[in-house]
Amino acid sequence: MFCSYACNSAEHSITRRGFLQGLTAGAAGVAGFSGMVGPGAAAELTSSQKHVVVFYLAGGVSQLETWDPKPGTDTGGPFDQIQTSAPGIDISELLPHTAQQMHHLSVIRSINHKEGDHGKGDYIMQTGRRQEPGFVYPYLGSAMAKQLSPADSPLPGYIHVGGGGGKAEAAFLGPKYAPLGLADGGGPANLNRHAALTEVTDLKRRELRNKLSQRFATGRRQAETEVYNQSYDQAAKLMSKKDIFDFKRMTDLDLERYGKHEFGRHCLMARNLIESGVTFVKVNHTNYDTHSENFNFHLEQLGEFDRPFAAFVSDMAARSMLDNVLIIVMSEFGRTPRINPLAGRDHWGNAWSICLGGAGIKRGVAVGKTNANGTAVTDREVDGGHLFHTYYRAVGLDPTKNFYDNQRPVAKADPKASAITEILS
Amino acid sequence: MIRNPNSLRNCVLCALVASACGLMRLQADEPAVTPAGSPPQVGAAATPATEPLSVTIDRLISSNLPDYEKLAAPISNDAEFLRRIYLDLTGAPPTSKQAHEFLADTSAVKRGALIDRLLASPEFPRQLARVLDQILMQRRPAQNVGLAEWKAYLHASCAEQKPWNVLASEILSSDGIDATTRPASRFYLDRGGEVNQITRDIGQVFMGVNLECAQCHDHPHVDDWKQRHYYGLSAFLVRSSLFNEGGKQILQEEAQGEVKFESVFEIRDKVSTGPKTTLPRVFEGPVLLEPKFDFGQEYSRAPAKNVRPIPNFSRRQQLADAVTDPNNRQFRRTIANRLWATMMGRGLVHPLEYDHSDNPPSHPALMDLLAENIASRNYDLKGFIRELALTKTYQRSSQRSPDQLAAPMPEPETFAVAPLRPLMAEQMAWSILQATGVSDNYRVNLGANLTEAKFYEQLQGIEQHFVGLFGGEPGKPAKDFETSIEQTLYLSNDPTIQGWLAPAGVNLTQRLLTLPQQDLPAISNELYLSCLTRPPTAEEVQEVTAYLSDRADSRPAAYQELIWALVTSAEFRFNH
Repeated sequence: MFCSYACNSAEHSITRRGFLQGLTAGAAGVAGFSGMVGPGAAAELTSSQKHVVVFYLAGGVSQLETWDPKPGTDTGGPFDQIQTSAPGIDISELLPHTAQQMHHLSVIRSINHKEGDHGKGDYIMQTGRRQEPGFVYPYLGSAMAKQLSPADSPLPGYIHVGGGGGKAEAAFLGPKYAPLGLADGGGPANLNRHAALTEVTDLKRRELRNKLSQRFATGRRQAETEVYNQSYDQAAKLMSKKDIFDFKRMTDLDLERYGKHEFGRHCLMARNLIESGVTFVKVNHTNYDTHSENFNFHLEQLGEFDRPFAAFVSDMAARSMLDNVLIIVMSEFGRTPRINPLAGRDHWGNAWSICLGGAGIKRGVAVGKTNANGTAVTDREVDGGHLFHTYYRAVGLDPTKNFYDNQRPVAKADPKASAITEILS
Repeated sequence: MIRNPNSLRNCVLCALVASACGLMRLQADEPAVTPAGSPPQVGAAATPATEPLSVTIDRLISSNLPDYEKLAAPISNDAEFLRRIYLDLTGAPPTSKQAHEFLADTSAVKRGALIDRLLASPEFPRQLARVLDQILMQRRPAQNVGLAEWKAYLHASCAEQKPWNVLASEILSSDGIDATTRPASRFYLDRGGEVNQITRDIGQVFMGVNLECAQCHDHPHVDDWKQRHYYGLSAFLVRSSLFNEGGKQILQEEAQGEVKFESVFEIRDKVSTGPKTTLPRVFEGPVLLEPKFDFGQEYSRAPAKNVRPIPNFSRRQQLADAVTDPNNRQFRRTIANRLWATMMGRGLVHPLEYDHSDNPPSHPALMDLLAENIASRNYDLKGFIRELALTKTYQRSSQRSPDQLAAPMPEPETFAVAPLRPLMAEQMAWSILQATGVSDNYRVNLGANLTEAKFYEQLQGIEQHFVGLFGGEPGKPAKDFETSIEQTLYLSNDPTIQGWLAPAGVNLTQRLLTLPQQDLPAISNELYLSCLTRPPTAEEVQEVTAYLSDRADSRPAAYQELIWALVTSAEFRFNH
């Protein structure tokens, strides 16, 4: 499973200093945003709407330095494990703040998707399937945006804080469900009224536009005109909510808790977006592809991850939102138990962990086990398909139903897998 | 070399088991009609020898619906017709001057004369090329062949009235090697030379069939579409692949390689008798027999490292003839149906790529007649479009008369009321440019050098921008009208649009400002003729008057707001 630094992975090309600025600094604003409006029943945002937040630790975080530590074994490395607020669940000492939130969270320690390639592992974790020639499944964010967003919500259903992703993620679901990349600069393009107009004059011209359009529809087929007119209402609503995309709106108090670094601000933005009603938010944290100096890198990276993530979980709990917000911490794969001669760990999909919490998930449980030094799953082996079934069930959706791609049914989650019911509340 | 895209345990494309896979059976209770390949039923469409096609079309449309005369919308008024025909034949609405002249013309034959004038205009081949581009490339991005060369090729083909079968043959024959025919190879090369993608798209684009399911198994619900049909088609292409020759991607072909297929369901159920193969064949057409060569004699240039092989026999070179063969009824039906859908908003066969026995056309005799007609006129697209434009069916209003409103709206497939057809991305661009008067400024600036080509060249960047924003998803043509907040925000707030509204040169805002500012009927008239190709009603003149008195502080600002409201109205967004 050893992968040299010469392998063509974007993760490898990031320098130690470079990653502090992050991949996201130059991300394009809103290329992927295209919220298609189709005919649909009106529905207001309701308090029971389910949301999903994915913290994606790109490059492949080590399960041994996070959710499944094996201190004192040949594979364990230098770090100890610590007790958490969930009795019986110990995690790495690199996550002290997260440890205090574990009574809200649970872990799955028995993932074996057998994949050690960045792109293929990423595809499995984000679509719940293995790559197949000639067909692309929708990514989790697009699938959830389609199924959980209220029909008339003007908000993009899937926001990738920091940018990234693209229209392809929505696959056949269509560009409405593609991720909107939200760079530090702000939200979708053209969200601000043109300087030549005041709020009053803009409203006046919109009212006239609407009146003309309604009159035109008389005696004609109206399905299309309704869709078109609705898009102006939604655009106006989105314009009125443009502040939610504004990083400058963050308070000093919040920034103190989350951290002023990029990942801290991104986690805080994720909280604000979820509070504003956005269905699916993805936050990336990069540079876990630690083929050398695994321990130094994890010390540094998890040191940055721990506090804002814990602050996010505690804020969800404090706002009584945990029951409606599914929290997932995932990577494309984990890292080899074997420590290589460069003090690194390599790509490893055969026995690793993710962390879940919130909507539909039991609090403070650990599902699945690996052996004493983490080299194999010994209990409850699962793959990407099982995880997708579980995510679906957790937010109240039926994973055995179909999507339709041009009238052809496509199972929402891999029919060969099923949900990990032990972790569902 | 054996290529087997089908070596999979389950159905990759359906991702499902047999019982669930597949297209919902469309109108399964309808009686089967003429299966593909058998002669058309011409009896039902029997026509007096002298009857023009347009008249026959109207007869077949009206006779298919009881009470048609009562239910059908009235014929469009001159303004509605004018906007529609300009958008369809030139891609943009008329100028206010052109609109004024047509509406003032009292000739009884002015519609026919206008149709002929627009068909003869340089804008027509440009617009037809856009329509064909969308059909052929489905908004795919340029990969290996430049967009400009491809568009120029289509434009030149339309300008010289190249018959569709000739155009199709060129496209299906080009391998991208010869620089003069290279643009035609975009169909292959910008699908990455990928055999399965090309096979599917040849089925959809040229034959009105969706063979996606048949890649892995016989179509579970469409009896006409078998797995062997899919592989008969892909057998023409299975030996072809991309080849980098001197830094340019071209399509190479080898002398060996057979398709191999096996139903994934038979494999799963352990009833498969093993992989099958087929020679190249278009559906039930003749099997392509290939010459046998002695070992070592297969190539005129043998394959070697970095050398493009040249086989003595090319399967792919036979594909164009097989697809366009007069015995392949699907070829003529599909182009006739597609052009009908372009002009009428919906195919006689609907959806366009589901032409099979269990999904008969809404008007079977008319479908047969149109297919035969387009073939017998040598695939002259322009002449065919002319006949469609002359029909009452095309010229019906999209608005029913007040006394018809109590009855339910006739179904779209009756063609009794004109549909609202969303403007294609290019039509959106040119319509906004024309309505706001940006186009007029460019024409004035070109002065004596003004030609359609020069004018197009100067503004095509804007056209391309609109295609990116309004063109929909590459490879997935939108079935229904879709709009996006992104589009709406662009039209609402983008500085580009606001810039077009600001008074400049002879644009609309400036024209309105040069009219006597107290002459509100004249101002309203110029506004409405420019934006919506019709004079305003009395109510609308009142509305404009009220708006202007409300915004007495700034006439220029008020005009811009009025133009914006008209240009973003539903009446503007749809070809109605």
